[in-house]
Amino acid sequence: MERITDNNLIVNIAHGENRDLLLLQDAGSRISPDVVLTIHQAGGSHLRLYVLTMPGCDVNNNIRIEQQGDGCHSELYILGIGTGSQHFGNTTHIEHQGIGGTSREVAKYVLSDSSHGTFYGMLKVLAGAQKTEACQTNRNVLLTTDAAVNTKPELEIYADDVKCSHGATTGQLDEAALFYMRQRGIDTQTARRMLLDAFMADIIDKIPDTSLTEKIREQIAETL
Amino acid sequence: MQKILEIKDLRASVSGKEILRGVNLNVNAGEIHAIMGPNGAGKSTLSNVLTGHPAYTVLGGEVTFRGKDLLTMNAEERAREGMFMSFQYPVEIPGVSMVNFMRTAVNEVRRHRGEPALSAGAFLKLLKQKRELVEMRSEFTNRSVNEGFSGGEKKRNEIFQMAMLEPVLSILDETDSGLDIDALRIVADGVNKLRTADNACIVITHYQRLLDYIVPDFVHVLYEGRIVMSGDKSLALELEQRGYDWIKDSIDR
Ligand SMILES: Nc1ncnc2c1ncn2[C@@H]1O[C@H](COP(=O)(O)OP(=O)(O)OP(=O)(O)O)[C@@H](O)[C@H]1O
Ligand SMILES: [Mg+2]
Repeated sequence: MERITDNNLIVNIAHGENRDLLLLQDAGSRISPDVVLTIHQAGGSHLRLYVLTMPGCDVNNNIRIEQQGDGCHSELYILGIGTGSQHFGNTTHIEHQGIGGTSREVAKYVLSDSSHGTFYGMLKVLAGAQKTEACQTNRNVLLTTDAAVNTKPELEIYADDVKCSHGATTGQLDEAALFYMRQRGIDTQTARRMLLDAFMADIIDKIPDTSLTEKIREQIAETL
Repeated sequence: MQKILEIKDLRASVSGKEILRGVNLNVNAGEIHAIMGPNGAGKSTLSNVLTGHPAYTVLGGEVTFRGKDLLTMNAEERAREGMFMSFQYPVEIPGVSMVNFMRTAVNEVRRHRGEPALSAGAFLKLLKQKRELVEMRSEFTNRSVNEGFSGGEKKRNEIFQMAMLEPVLSILDETDSGLDIDALRIVADGVNKLRTADNACIVITHYQRLLDYIVPDFVHVLYEGRIVMSGDKSLALELEQRGYDWIKDSIDR
């Protein structure tokens, strides 16, 4: 897995190449408030991109993924944790230009205090990009009434033989689950942490570096 | 006889609506109490109020659990003191594994009792032993809590959790609904095996059939937020034959 450290970067992924990229924005890393990341995928290439925004990072990420050849596969996992008066946002654009490409985008935010997150996700399938299979989901948990999220998932499809889906949900931690756990003797604090862990797991568990995921989990547990 | 639960004139509301309107009930160690009553009578409300569900407001009355004031404890403290509810509608918790859930719960309860946390090995041994008590296959403990479980599997899982936590008072809210005939027998056998002279059980059910397996010492009828009749197990048989109209008539008059 490669760490992205530039704030303005174009990555070209060659034919059939497989790349795992990580953009980690935390207190320890040099953060620039605006990141523009463009990725061009040649035919048959595979991309997995993780974008993790940790507590305290005011950032705006602009991510563009173009599948320029046929049979490309892209996975984009975005996790944002907001605390205090933090503002952060992700604007993503995934564009299918070739035939038979697949893509999967999962963006999850956990927002506490008076933090604010935005998610603008564009999924675009050009004419001719037949047999594209793409999905985009955005799920947000608001831990306080002052936290807020703006989300705008969008689909633009110019080919007719494709399977695409998108959806966004925003809510609180499941009260019924919290009570169920407390009824078994688990205190509220621990129960909330377990539910948040579960919420974030399908992103964090995908990251291949387990010592890194441990650190990320700890960092999140400490601040939330 | 050792007193476990004493409820005096308990009144409670939910969403501003008074549901419990003066419940009195005493449960001693070793006893099984059945609570029956028509839909909407307040049986689940009573369970939720006793276990400390935050959506319910106590309007009056007293509840003593093992000599302590129950109503000042929060939900998790009540659970650690030995109060257990088998939910009428168990909750699915995607992403939280049964094993992690149970390990956390068991160790919280042990800590409260002044016992050390179980080692991983000892925990897994306990898990296996209790799973066998309710004949639950190992795949279920590897899944997320209740996620994708059938109705009957969820109920069996409730009794499995009861076995793991060894509560002093278990409130079984319609644990029989959704169970097939074999599962009903297995679950009831499990409950009977968990009985000791020091614990007690409140069994909420609509059907006499369950009470053939879990034989109650007392049967109570809850109607419009009050216990309006109490008897021995023959009362359940009478209700099965006659329904509730005769009780409603005698009250409403
Ligand atoms: N959260 C709630 N908000 C509003 N009303 C509620 C709520 N919970 C329960 N009630 C009402 O309280 C009354 C008693 O409900 P409860 O679930 O205690 O009945 P029950 O005796 O368990 O019935 P059943 O046999 O159908 O399970 C019902 O009229 C129900 O609609
Ligand atoms: Mg009920």
